[in-house]
Amino acid sequence: MNLKEWIFTTDHKRVGVLYLIGSIAAFVVAGIMAVLMRIELTTLGPTITDSATTYNVWLYVHGAVMILGFQIPALTGFAANFGIPLMIGAKDVAFPRLNAFSVWLFFMGVIMALLTFVVPDPPDIMWTGYPPYSITTSGNTALYTFTVLLIGFASILAGINFLTTIIFMRAKGMTWNKLNIFTWTIAGSFVMQLIYVPVLGVAVLLISFDKYLGTYFFDPAKGGDVLTYQNLFWFYSHPAVYVIFLPFFGLLMDIFATFAKNPIFNYKTAVYGGVWGIVIISGEVWIHHLYVSGMPDWLRIGQMVTTLMISVPVGLLTISLVGTLYKGSITFQTPMLYALGTAFLFLIGGLTGIPLAVTALTVNLSETYYVVGHFHYVMAVSGTLAIFAGVYYWFPKITGRMFNERWGHIGFWFHFVGANIIFWTMMDVGVRTGLSRRYYDWAQWPEVANEQMIMTVGTGILAIGFVIMLFNWLLGAIIGAKAPDNPWGSASLEWTTTPCAPPHGNWATPPVLADDWSPYAYDKRKG
Amino acid sequence: MNQGGYQMNHSAEAVHHEGHEAWSTSAWPVVISFGILALSFAFMLQFVYELQLAAIIALGISLPLIIGGIAGWTSEGMGEGEGESLSFACMGWFILAETMIFLAVFVAYWYGRLGAPMWPLPGSVPLPLLIPVIMTVTLVTSSLTIHKVQDYVKEGNSSGAVKWLLLTILLGGAFLGMTGYEWAHLIGEGFTIKTNLFGTVLYSITGLHGSHVLVGLCIFLAGLIPVMKGNMSVGFWRTAGLYWHFVDIIWFFVVSQVYFW
Repeated sequence: MNLKEWIFTTDHKRVGVLYLIGSIAAFVVAGIMAVLMRIELTTLGPTITDSATTYNVWLYVHGAVMILGFQIPALTGFAANFGIPLMIGAKDVAFPRLNAFSVWLFFMGVIMALLTFVVPDPPDIMWTGYPPYSITTSGNTALYTFTVLLIGFASILAGINFLTTIIFMRAKGMTWNKLNIFTWTIAGSFVMQLIYVPVLGVAVLLISFDKYLGTYFFDPAKGGDVLTYQNLFWFYSHPAVYVIFLPFFGLLMDIFATFAKNPIFNYKTAVYGGVWGIVIISGEVWIHHLYVSGMPDWLRIGQMVTTLMISVPVGLLTISLVGTLYKGSITFQTPMLYALGTAFLFLIGGLTGIPLAVTALTVNLSETYYVVGHFHYVMAVSGTLAIFAGVYYWFPKITGRMFNERWGHIGFWFHFVGANIIFWTMMDVGVRTGLSRRYYDWAQWPEVANEQMIMTVGTGILAIGFVIMLFNWLLGAIIGAKAPDNPWGSASLEWTTTPCAPPHGNWATPPVLADDWSPYAYDKRKG
Repeated sequence: MNQGGYQMNHSAEAVHHEGHEAWSTSAWPVVISFGILALSFAFMLQFVYELQLAAIIALGISLPLIIGGIAGWTSEGMGEGEGESLSFACMGWFILAETMIFLAVFVAYWYGRLGAPMWPLPGSVPLPLLIPVIMTVTLVTSSLTIHKVQDYVKEGNSSGAVKWLLLTILLGGAFLGMTGYEWAHLIGEGFTIKTNLFGTVLYSITGLHGSHVLVGLCIFLAGLIPVMKGNMSVGFWRTAGLYWHFVDIIWFFVVSQVYFW
């Protein structure tokens, strides 16, 4: 293997693999932070640290790196890079050098995040960085700012690149209604990135301006307004949920179609109602994060309406997802197992979000572990298991080899059981006891001792699942059996027209598609 | 700014594999990325840790990497041709993102200003109104001259393009010079970024806009040498022109919201 060809690569598949390596590394670091926090919370009083600041630093790294360093790059970086050109029949993305630039800026952002462990004054401002604390803390807020700016800029460049690619570089005959649903979700996701990421960039830049250059954007004493930050921040960070949600759901739908040997149910409704409905409504819901920050009642009611309204396109996508299974000939290989698990976890996560949208309930649930449990279900574990499903799905395409099916199943069950133990317990204690999130100790809630222990055990189970999976991938990539060209029997372009581990340029001549071609043309095969 | 086309076999350094098409590579994105990382370090060393010497060293490492990287990238990619029409569309998406950046800063300004118990805030000074008018005229003129450059590039007239390009760069430079003059003047009157929210906003917004003018000038300079050599890409200059028009239009918002409100 030629190392130079990897470091300086501009090939979309290799850039995708670089994204995958970077984001899995970020996942490991952020995951260790979660384990440390869980161990600390296992017993009352100091367990492994007696410093609340140290706990806050773990909380910062866990949140910031999981979202910015793992989920978004794994989906809009790895999955988009590896999947999109192969799915639309392009030899590469529109701007290969710009693509390489994106992944390297992302690496620089990860380096910035990891510097937290090196600098004497690590950031302790969570991933939200709310002023005034982020401005008055002795922690290094600039590290947070630059982490967000570097990864954000990488996202913007990837966005302009991929939207151009999807619009102009589809193969001959690849009309809009023949795109894989994953391609649509990536397009929607990048449109959102282009609209919202710049606003996040400005928000985090302005806290560093306030802190280090002495400006007053968020200082009411000099004419600024502290709530400006919360508005700017959530204007991005709520849609960020959809930036993650859309591609992972698209990935799930493609995996469902492949393993159920069925076309996507209600394709056009899912695309034009589901995907683009979410993109359109995504910008009108962020104020629900400020319900308890103070706002007029009419705004609370309005936000409740828009927040509940976004369940409609999400529902359309869910109907399509489940409908794709109907009368399918389903096989339960590892990618499908992960995808089914994700669909179940997402159902719990989505339904438990409805009480949080309703203002009368949310003022009581806000800042409890119920919120933590909810968003980990809907975003953290759903998104993560979907990413793992995607890696397993494309594993033969990436490496040219097969992983071990049995260990894949075992790893999945550890993941699935562990995740449910942790996050169901979180929601349970949140509702029953009002256990407050973010605290590094729980002296006020002595009744949750058992649950704390249960959640830590769940974390251990989840971690074992991840280690099993990681070894499965590494061993599969090195000593796995050689993969057939279409191991899952998919009808999608990337499986039917390229060999496993496609060469540079993907096709000698780009494919031309027949009029009746479809990425989901399974009826004919079933015969 | 200008990237390679979508024709894949044009790597700077094609490394051949046995029996395979060569994997394309380019070192410049990596070089620029490290330059940007070093630039972030320079900011942190200066403002967070107040280690001025280390900050200057970081800046000294960063700028050659970024400038060299851009120059290398431009000379590698210029004239590849295939991506020309795509780069124009791509700039459209980029401008969407840029618009959101400016909108976010304006929102922070509006939020503060409309919520303020009084305006102007204590400590504000009356702003000079003649300079922004002259700056507007300068920038609008440069938007016309860049159009002239595009025409000459399309005709393949290298010397004409160079002449108008130099004029454009001169106008852009004059614009930045006037920004600097005005800043110095206001700081001399004791109105700084630390005076109140209006000072904060004035310097942040004009600085943000000025940084975009600077980037535009860098694009023009990076493209100047290839044009002098007769390597003229219609797509590159259409795209650069689009960006420049955007910078021009944003300036109207800056002037109307900051100076004449």
